Amino acid sequence: MSLAISLSGVTKTFGSTVAVDSLDLAVPVGALYGFIGPNGAGKTTTLRMIMSILFPDRGELSVLGRPGAIEAKDRIGYLPEERGVYRKMKVGAFLMYMARLKGVKDFSPERAAAWLERLNLPGVQDKKCEELSKGMLQKVQLIAAVLHAPDLLILDEPFSGLDPVNMRLLRELILAEHRRGATVIFSTHVMVHAEEICDHIVMLHQGRKVLDEDLVSVQRRHDPRALIFEPFERGADASALAALDGVDKITRDGSTYRIDLREGADPVRAMRAVAAAVPPSRLEMHRPSLEDIFIGLVT
Amino acid sequence: MSTKGFIIAIMVPPLIYTAIITVFPRLMNNRVPAVSGGLVVIDQSGHVTAGVRRYLEPQAMAARREAAFNRAMESTPMGGAASSGAGGAVAQRAVMGELTTIEITESPAGALEQAKQQLTRDDGVRRLGVLVIHPNAVAPNAEGKLGAYALFVRRNLDIRIQNEIRNGAAEAIVDARVRAEGLDRKRIDALITVARPASITVTASGESATRPDFGQLLPMGFALLLMISVMSSGQYLLTTTIEEKSSRTMEVILSAVSPFELLTGKILGQMAVGLTILVTYSSIGILSLVSMAMLDLIDPSLLVYLFIFFLITYVTMGSLMAAIGSSVNELREAQSLMTPITLLMMIPWLFWFPISREPNSLFATVVSFIPPMNAFAMLLRLTSTSPPPMWQVWLSIVVGTLAAVGALWFASRVFKIGLLMHGRPPNFATLLKWARQA
Repeated sequence: MSLAISLSGVTKTFGSTVAVDSLDLAVPVGALYGFIGPNGAGKTTTLRMIMSILFPDRGELSVLGRPGAIEAKDRIGYLPEERGVYRKMKVGAFLMYMARLKGVKDFSPERAAAWLERLNLPGVQDKKCEELSKGMLQKVQLIAAVLHAPDLLILDEPFSGLDPVNMRLLRELILAEHRRGATVIFSTHVMVHAEEICDHIVMLHQGRKVLDEDLVSVQRRHDPRALIFEPFERGADASALAALDGVDKITRDGSTYRIDLREGADPVRAMRAVAAAVPPSRLEMHRPSLEDIFIGLVT
Repeated sequence: MSTKGFIIAIMVPPLIYTAIITVFPRLMNNRVPAVSGGLVVIDQSGHVTAGVRRYLEPQAMAARREAAFNRAMESTPMGGAASSGAGGAVAQRAVMGELTTIEITESPAGALEQAKQQLTRDDGVRRLGVLVIHPNAVAPNAEGKLGAYALFVRRNLDIRIQNEIRNGAAEAIVDARVRAEGLDRKRIDALITVARPASITVTASGESATRPDFGQLLPMGFALLLMISVMSSGQYLLTTTIEEKSSRTMEVILSAVSPFELLTGKILGQMAVGLTILVTYSSIGILSLVSMAMLDLIDPSLLVYLFIFFLITYVTMGSLMAAIGSSVNELREAQSLMTPITLLMMIPWLFWFPISREPNSLFATVVSFIPPMNAFAMLLRLTSTSPPPMWQVWLSIVVGTLAAVGALWFASRVFKIGLLMHGRPPNFATLLKWARQA
């Protein structure tokens, strides 16, 4: 499996603050990675080091097989967290300029217009950047990040400041880029976003990596000991479940129950026993939200 | 920046300079204030008062001033044509002001103290001064010595009025002396006056009257060209870098290019702008020389040196500007860092006079090797009437090139760190630290 990005022992300090502390990371080609962590965890610093905008104090780093992103910038799309535009420039001209900087020779105003159309911004190419709202500009900048069909797409907090409709649009775009074969990394401090689209999670906390595995196994590993149960018949007596083998306690929340299992209990056997005792309309392993995991790891 | 705006911006300064050159000398001419008042003459020799009175007649003063005005206009560039004709007459009237009337009263020798007292009085009567002609002013005294005169004036009397009175006294005394000797003043004047013809410069393409002012204007023109092109493009480098930084466009651009590429692109692009300015202005200058048939006065190699020194100075100053621009958040914060740089640029102007007077003095030689002033000093010396030896020119170019490379190196290091630094604006010590760290 070839790696799109690999970091080993990367450390970056600003003055006396250690922003990133001996970070190891291996992102395979074609992966969709989510960087999560609270504010100040080192996400942006890490992404900037990957982009060769900052340089690590110590450690090795390779991007798309090169020792730094500088040699591969035309194959990388980057949406920085601090994003600005030339305020007096027209949107179409800005996209043309960015395309030229990225070495796209055949980028035409028509292609720019098509991209704007796709992101629900039809006809804005003749407007000046300063006339657009913040959310609209963010989408323009996103186009600038992907218009050269990059092999690696790095998005720093792409969801911030977007309304739900645009969030969905962005999610679809990210997934489309992923399907096209691009390796995608994005950072967020809103766990739901990561949960919705990522297949792999990296969590940073105070410059250290506290989690680095795929989403399903994270959720399975972090809380295998609870079932969510909803009886088939409304109002059915579920109290009998508490006496089942391996069940620690049950708590009711409206029409659903949370069944906590004893340490060491086999969840599959417990599920069979529950289904046999009271017919369920819904019975599943409880998957902890990333938020729960996050708070559990951080606090 | 739009193309139209750029063209306007490039054309406005020469228009302003032309306006200054043509209008300024007119405004600077000796404009005698309209003063009228009384002058008390105490003539102890007894032969001078009439002459003073003649000299200080309003019409006589006006005639002298007109002659002086015409002389001044002829010696300013482009002035000769303007002073003749209708426009000249208007300008002349504008600078000459109202006529000055000096009323002369004669007093006996004993009245001196009283007349002096009256000068201090403020009773509505305007008294300009008291002129005392010494008894031996015209005929020598017992010891065979000739005397002169004394002039007492009131507070704050205009210096030009004082000069008029003194000239009048001297003129009248000389006149009286000549007459006392039984000689003819007109004949003496004719004998001691020799016309002063202008020298004629002989060049390959012919002969033309020597323009004494040209020797001073050429270095001035070259230094000004260098200054304008370097400063305007340097200033622009500073503001665009700050703008990209404060609008946070920087990181978007950095996703496509490396900091060094960005710096290089900025410096090269702005250099093209600076060269456009330089070429436009020098073409205007050369065209106007052609129109005056004085092109022979510029050695083409001087233009090559101007180009070389522009490159050196521009890269040095432009790099520093870009470094400063990258390290601050807004223009306001750049001011404190800009001050020493602007001073460096202003120093050559302070040196302009001593260097152009003595182009090969030790001082001029030393300054020729201190970047970034070396370019100004060298251009002043190269265009002067006694150019420096060639080895000095090339040594200055080598030193300047080293400084330019050093400034570029410094800027590339500061740029890399400064671009994404937001927060407290740095000082020069911090910038040096960044350059060492990067």
